[in-house]
Amino acid sequence: MNRWEEKLREALRRKAAPEGFSERVLARIRELPVQEERPWGRIRSFIARPAFRWATAMLCLVIAGSLVYRARQEHQRREGEIARMQVKQALRIASLKLNVARRKVQEINREIPQSRL
Amino acid sequence: MATATLDRCGEVLARLARGDVSAFEEIVQAHQSMVFSIAYHFLHDRSLAEEAAQDVFLRLYRNLASIKSPKHLVFWLRQVACRRALDQLRRLPKAPPVSLENVAEPAEDPPDSDPLLSRGLRRMVASLPENARAVIILRYQEELELAEIAQILDIPINTVKSRLERSLEVLREKFHRWAGGVAR
Repeated sequence: MNRWEEKLREALRRKAAPEGFSERVLARIRELPVQEERPWGRIRSFIARPAFRWATAMLCLVIAGSLVYRARQEHQRREGEIARMQVKQALRIASLKLNVARRKVQEINREIPQSRL
Repeated sequence: MATATLDRCGEVLARLARGDVSAFEEIVQAHQSMVFSIAYHFLHDRSLAEEAAQDVFLRLYRNLASIKSPKHLVFWLRQVACRRALDQLRRLPKAPPVSLENVAEPAEDPPDSDPLLSRGLRRMVASLPENARAVIILRYQEELELAEIAQILDIPINTVKSRLERSLEVLREKFHRWAGGVAR
């Protein structure tokens, strides 16, 4: 500590509290209403416990994790549903096309033997 | 000596835990100077400082159950005194003036080697921004290490370091200007 800091330390030296300070504090304490322990006070002190806070944080994490998991599952299910619909649609279109082709072939088959004969 | 004081304080805390409320007076007497001085150096006003210091002890009375040890008690008092003084400082323009009858008589303090210089320095400290003032008061009044100041103010140690350096620079500049004015 240099001289400058020594001066600062001297200037900021602790001051004596005013005369009768402790008596005035005690008088104010005596004026305080006697507080009965209320139920919410117990709840508050319970909530303030670090163990409770950790447990709440863990619970929040578990809930958030399960929500994310469920959302992902739902997303996958919906995508599967869409894919199933698309396959169904593709099969329907393919069957229509096949029917058209079959009909055409049948018509051609019907016409060719007659002309040859 | 500090250990003896802590032991004594430990005994008082134990008495309080057993329901001996009169022991609280001993705690007030043992720490009133520290709490009052923190508030006074923040607020630069004896009546406001007394009000803030009284509030700190009332808060302590209500939170006695949370005090774990004499060391924790001192840490708690310093932290709450700083916070209470900062609150008071922020409310200052709105606070009603205190009548002279309510202002306590100043107690006898040991004389400064240079009262004019000390008063000037205290005024300069009081003109610093509140966060810088907190660091300076805890460093030079309470003679705390930077890590302890960081813990009390709940800020990183590097912030304490930079605030301290900047504040000392500002104080030095102010001091040179002031000393020049006084010499003229």
